[in-house]
Amino acid sequence: MAKRFTASTASPLTWWLFAVTMAIVAGVSQNAMIQILICAAALFAILIFREEAPWSRSVKFYLFLAGFVVIARVLFRIVFNIQNPEDTTAIDLPGFSINLGFGPPVELFGAVGIQALTGGATDGLRLAAIILSIGMASSLANPRALLKSTPSALYEIASAISVAINLAPQMISSLQRVQKARSLRGRSKGLGSMAGTVIPVLEDAIDSSLSLAASMDSRGFGRRGSLSKPLVLGARLSSLMAVGALSVGSFALLVGQTQTLGWVLIAIGIVSSFASIRINSKSQIRTRFEPMKLQFFDALILSLSALLLIAAILGWFA
Amino acid sequence: MNTFSGKWISNLSILLAGIGSVLMFSWPFFISGDSAAEADVAQVVFIALMPLMLVLILVEVATGEIGSKQIALLGVLIALNAVIRLLGAGTAGIETAFFLIIIAGYVFGSGFGFLLGTGSLLVSALITGGVGPWLPFQMMAAGLIGIGAGLLPKFGSRGAKLAVLIVYAIPASFAYGFLMTLWNWPFLAGSESSISYLAGAGAIENLIRFLQFQIFTGGLIWDLGRAVTTVALIAITGPLLLGSLQRAASKTGFVKPSKPEDANRAKAPGLSG
Amino acid sequence: MIALRDVSFGYAGTERPALSRVNLDFLPGEFSLVCGATGSGKSTLLRILNGLAPHFTGGSLSGSLVIDGIDVTGSKPHELAAQVGFVNQQPESSFVSDTVKQELVYGMEQLGFNRDKMSDSLKQVAELLDIEELLDRPLSWLSGGQQQRVAIASALAAGQKILLLDEPTSALDPEAAAEIVGVLKSLAHEHGITVILVEHRIERVIELVDSVVIVANDGLVTKGGYEQFENYHLVPPVIGLSTELSWNPVTVSVSAAKANWERGPQQWKQLVNENLSKTVAMEVNDLSVSYDGLDAVSKVSFEVHAGEVVALMGKNGSGKSSVLWAIQGGGKRSSGSVKTQFGDPKSLSADERLCVLTLVPQKAADLLFLNSLADELSESDKFAQLTDSGTSKIFESLTGRLDPKIHPRDLSAGQQLALVLALQLVKGAGILLLDEPTRGLDYAAKRSLAKQIRALRKEGKSVLVASHDVEFVALVADRVLELESGKMISDKLTTVALGIGSSHPTQISQITGQPGLLTLSQVEKVQK
Repeated sequence: MAKRFTASTASPLTWWLFAVTMAIVAGVSQNAMIQILICAAALFAILIFREEAPWSRSVKFYLFLAGFVVIARVLFRIVFNIQNPEDTTAIDLPGFSINLGFGPPVELFGAVGIQALTGGATDGLRLAAIILSIGMASSLANPRALLKSTPSALYEIASAISVAINLAPQMISSLQRVQKARSLRGRSKGLGSMAGTVIPVLEDAIDSSLSLAASMDSRGFGRRGSLSKPLVLGARLSSLMAVGALSVGSFALLVGQTQTLGWVLIAIGIVSSFASIRINSKSQIRTRFEPMKLQFFDALILSLSALLLIAAILGWFA
Repeated sequence: MNTFSGKWISNLSILLAGIGSVLMFSWPFFISGDSAAEADVAQVVFIALMPLMLVLILVEVATGEIGSKQIALLGVLIALNAVIRLLGAGTAGIETAFFLIIIAGYVFGSGFGFLLGTGSLLVSALITGGVGPWLPFQMMAAGLIGIGAGLLPKFGSRGAKLAVLIVYAIPASFAYGFLMTLWNWPFLAGSESSISYLAGAGAIENLIRFLQFQIFTGGLIWDLGRAVTTVALIAITGPLLLGSLQRAASKTGFVKPSKPEDANRAKAPGLSG
Repeated sequence: MIALRDVSFGYAGTERPALSRVNLDFLPGEFSLVCGATGSGKSTLLRILNGLAPHFTGGSLSGSLVIDGIDVTGSKPHELAAQVGFVNQQPESSFVSDTVKQELVYGMEQLGFNRDKMSDSLKQVAELLDIEELLDRPLSWLSGGQQQRVAIASALAAGQKILLLDEPTSALDPEAAAEIVGVLKSLAHEHGITVILVEHRIERVIELVDSVVIVANDGLVTKGGYEQFENYHLVPPVIGLSTELSWNPVTVSVSAAKANWERGPQQWKQLVNENLSKTVAMEVNDLSVSYDGLDAVSKVSFEVHAGEVVALMGKNGSGKSSVLWAIQGGGKRSSGSVKTQFGDPKSLSADERLCVLTLVPQKAADLLFLNSLADELSESDKFAQLTDSGTSKIFESLTGRLDPKIHPRDLSAGQQLALVLALQLVKGAGILLLDEPTRGLDYAAKRSLAKQIRALRKEGKSVLVASHDVEFVALVADRVLELESGKMISDKLTTVALGIGSSHPTQISQITGQPGLLTLSQVEKVQK
């Protein structure tokens, strides 16, 4: 039998790109069937490809959340019902209103229309599909490997995050050890004992951070080439342009009449974000031992993503 | 990182990004009537843009003078905070992640506060599997709390410091709750219920609807729980934690030791022999 | 390879320099041992060689450092990373990655090596340290010895010709330590790497090194051979005996000392068996502890008299800690009982227990959380409802006066232990349980701890100490219990348990072969 494809056969970036594509398709589609298909596909992918790893154990959590969102959307439509005379009544509940002492009284229940219910369910399904798509990526993509493929400009922060992920289990055991030792001194329990537990662990953590830093620095961490002045200026200006364009663009998108402008600004924002990250990455001189290599399996998933994306743009899923 | 400053551009970017990201939380207040059909699209767009906003701020913060000691300290504090957060998880309204973000942000400065806030929520989501479209928003909100803590006035006496932190913790906890409820509001209630946002109705009308949503979903109780635990933890652990973190700050070169005793202590790490 | 010229180093706020006017040279392929008392500048000296001092430690440096003919004074650690490798005490706290391979290439990635060069060097260094089979393993699966090998490999992966190590064997058992030291010797002598090692367990390395550097408390540094130890008191018993009896040259191995001892009959005195009280302070009956169905301790019974020091010996994992915690009552106990004057500690509250017995855990600092020594002491008085500063009295009787403003984390390991002892004894417990108290202590600190324990014994307290440190147990204990896989296999007087012919004789027993002669203090000094 051929080698089995599992989560780590593909790069973590591939899984995330695939997940984002699925989320985009779910976002633009108004068709409940498509949403259900995406939910099913995401779930299917998790169950087939997942490996034995801490980050792949939360399928139930994502399923619960997805279900919760669908139910919440429908419940909101029923409980905080806006009665629509054009809609065919599905459930006729006695309506009443509550006055909270401010604003108009809140209308509750009343005749719930079929369109309201299906609309609520479709909206909920769309979000469920997005949640499950992201859940799929986070179940299948190894966060450590993902950190290794972050752009160089974020290398330092990615290092801190990967140190944190590596240290967390150790931290749990030292918290338990200190808690046990603390009982030897008698004294208070509950929240009051927080200081006695947190401080020794924190002090240990600070000491170990220093020896970790010494070890990192002794092996060359902190070497960086310097950017020329124009490049530094360029990086900073493109960042400024990016956040400015994204912020103003978002606002323009919301206020009506200016939506085209909004989309243009957001596009400019995205482009200058990448420019800024690119320039900032240039100051790094370090190399990577196992740079990402695209495998057949990656190519397969990525072409599928591309097809989905094209179809979404052509409006096939509307 | 080099003599050419241009640092103000960087700070301006962070400020703008902060304003922009608050907009991405509070869009239901501003959305106009004729884009009602686009409301759902807006939500998806912001879910996609928020991570980009985060990355931009992170890059700006990281390009400062940030060395191995700061990175290692950040790593262990994120791990500690993520683990402390796990301990508190599951009990309604108990949120144990913020006291450390606030105290550390105060001691180490805004940039560190932002990194610790975003990092703590990211790592705790990675270890528990809570990654979802809400995560970048939680990270941003927690990061903003960290930035705010770094901007608080630095008093000399420990009592005054503690008072400032406690006074800050209350609005900060509520602000986090407010932002996250704002995010949940369109996410859970959609746009077509009697307590959903009403596109084009203006900020005031929508604020009323938002408060009604808060009351019906009990969000305020959670926010209150978060504020109470954060204040209590700062009050209980603050006096000692401030001392420990200030010691760490002088060891890791965040501040130059000013008094001889501090400098004396600064030599201690791993130098027992 | 390395030349230090007129190097002085001082920490801000202290008058005494850590190092003063040091002139040292190290040759390529030299294996050198650096020793000195706790608090002397030995770690600082090591760290100056790759820039960690002053860049990570603070303080001010003068003089010059030349590596490989180039003046690198004032360079930062990462600027010297390609020339100098550095290995810390605890490998697990210096790891950056999750797998062995990633850890090994980390340094090369930082230095910007290309892919091919990385995989070549990776192969070479893995072969050099004999860790090829471990490459794909997670670091957390490795044993202590394997972790230390990986740490050394990753310090040398980028082709560094100088290797600095700070107490690399302190977390290892004797066999693993011997292996690591062997590896270091071959790195120096067969591969031409300059290896400089700080180590206070001198006996583990002394026979293999080419040179010895001694850092004195006044910051003066001398380099030479074994004769260095003549006026040096921080030494293992074998060297201590040699200087005590004025043997020339100094003997560093047990076999050489044995030959010297046999050459001339020496004077020594028997240990006086001080009168033991008949009162039984604690009676342990059929104590068992099991975790998830596995027996950690099975049916252990013994008694401890008032004013008696009993040692609980056994390998790591033989159940020593479990016994102590089960007696104290805070740990798991599956069956069995403990009788004291006030009943079984298990049935008492945590605060009540402190009046009866107290346990000092392996990591004593876990119990310290306040910001100054004074705060810890006064909190303890408040807790014990003492109006006269009772805790500081106990503390001072153990260590002498110290600056009350000092941060507890800045105390030496020995002082921290004394502080925790004082905090735990203030409520007047008559029974003291100590879990591996000598971890991280140097010879001087161990001797001072032994003195403190003997003083407590004189006050009539009973002490049960879990330890695998033979020399320390010989100094303190009246009786030795031995555990093996949770079962008690022997209960003997110390003179028998650690004497000649036993399974763990002390160094002095091995050298002299005299029954009843265990420690250096029994040997009469010979005047020159």
